[in-house]
Amino acid sequence: MADEMEIGHVSKKPAHAASSLQWSQWQLLDSILPTGGFAHSFGLEAAIGTHMIGGSEDLRTFVVHVLENSGSLLLPFVYSASKSPDANTLHNLDRMLDAMLTNEVGRKASVAQGSALIRVASAAFLEIPSLKMIRERFLGSGTVCFHHAPVFGLICGLIGLDSETSQRAYVFITMRDVISAATRLNLIGPLGAAVLQHQISDVAEAVVEKWKNRAADEACQTVPLLDTIQGCHAYLFSRLFCS
Amino acid sequence: METGTKSGEVRVEKVGGKSMVTKCFSKYPLKFIIPKKAGPSKTDSVWIYSLTYGGGIVSGDVISSGLYVGDGSTTVLTTQASTKVYKSLGSKCSEQLFEAEIGSDALLVVIPDPVTCFSTARYSQKQVFRVVPGSSLVLVDWITSGRHESGEVWDFNLYKSTNNIFFSDGQPLFLDTVLLEQGGIAPLAERMQDYRVIAMVVLLGPKLRHVQIRIQEDVKTMMSGQLRVSFSSLNCRKKPNPHNTSPDKPALVASCSAFGPKRVGVVVRIASMTTESVYSFLRHQLEDLEPLIGLSPYC
Repeated sequence: MADEMEIGHVSKKPAHAASSLQWSQWQLLDSILPTGGFAHSFGLEAAIGTHMIGGSEDLRTFVVHVLENSGSLLLPFVYSASKSPDANTLHNLDRMLDAMLTNEVGRKASVAQGSALIRVASAAFLEIPSLKMIRERFLGSGTVCFHHAPVFGLICGLIGLDSETSQRAYVFITMRDVISAATRLNLIGPLGAAVLQHQISDVAEAVVEKWKNRAADEACQTVPLLDTIQGCHAYLFSRLFCS
Repeated sequence: METGTKSGEVRVEKVGGKSMVTKCFSKYPLKFIIPKKAGPSKTDSVWIYSLTYGGGIVSGDVISSGLYVGDGSTTVLTTQASTKVYKSLGSKCSEQLFEAEIGSDALLVVIPDPVTCFSTARYSQKQVFRVVPGSSLVLVDWITSGRHESGEVWDFNLYKSTNNIFFSDGQPLFLDTVLLEQGGIAPLAERMQDYRVIAMVVLLGPKLRHVQIRIQEDVKTMMSGQLRVSFSSLNCRKKPNPHNTSPDKPALVASCSAFGPKRVGVVVRIASMTTESVYSFLRHQLEDLEPLIGLSPYC
């Protein structure tokens, strides 16, 4: 009798693990996760300020450019962190990205979101004690800023997501957040936003296909104009967003 | 890097209180010209003009060079004219690699003319700087969209520029790579919008504090006047104006960011519709270098 129960328990494990992963995955990608993503517009507010966004076509173009630049610059960090989700890798990737995010506005946004993300994840995903350990080890040390892309990759890797899904997820949340910022900036309504998001998903997938699985030292900017414009965010007289 | 693989190498060291060239080597297709006197004799600086035979970079050229700027010395590296990269033959890529080491209390000023890639050109450049506390560096790196007069606007196939600055222990201070490639998910010309020139200026170290302060204030003043409010009085969901060619886009957009420990560096990114306006911006912002290097850049 005890043996039967034990066999039953063992055979349930893989299916249980797979569905448990879905719950964690959906929670990680849900915009309700308190990471402060709502405070950032990825340079969209500054783009409006510099007259780059005239109409709806300009918005679509802008979102595609943000996805492509995020793909070329940040996916390598998500990839590398998800492949080896440990403290040393996080430390190295974090230092490298800190030197690469030369735009102060974008750099601060990355640190704010990454710090909030690891705080939430280490509090919620208690079944992964290394998250809390890594966070506590580096908190206050001054050597790790908790940049968003490597932290995101680290968490994906630790919860058991494969690296391709992790990279696709990162492009997804980027797209989600830029379009969300566009609705709050009155560039598009909520229904139009949903339509746009679905329309662009093919392009987003193309970004993942093109920029996935690269080493961090291959990271580059492919839309340098975005960096210039996002840097202007600090000059806006009145702002809705932090970046 | 052994001398055998290099196209050029220069060493500048302080000898008897003056910056002196203690080694200078260059071979085809690279040539260094070092005038005996570039500015007033009381200014201590060595000016190096870097040229390529034929006035440009030919498909398949690989040029690598090194520069050592010793403690306390001042060196300026510049060009005589814009670097032209000719069309690629058989998809060959031309490459330039430049490595510089800057000593303590030393200043390196890299002020080239812009790179202009001709239609179908493929070009990659990498500049690596190693610094110590007390090193100062001015780095200008810029590119135009091509030969506008011939209708070439962002018509080259590939341009890649890497600028990396490392501390002497190998830790990265500043890492930047821009990759502009034809094709891609968003067309290259669309990614550049109406801008024809992009430029980056890095100002690092104690000797440039006054230039950093001034450029940050000037850019802030210049841009603040041109930006409009994003949300309150706008109704962006009106039908777009069919004649709208975005007439209000600033002809020159720039932003500054501090970087590094104790904000030791400042990077300025610029996008402009004309080359002349960038020359003018650089002339104006770098004129305070004259007492340090003897001449005002881009004059």
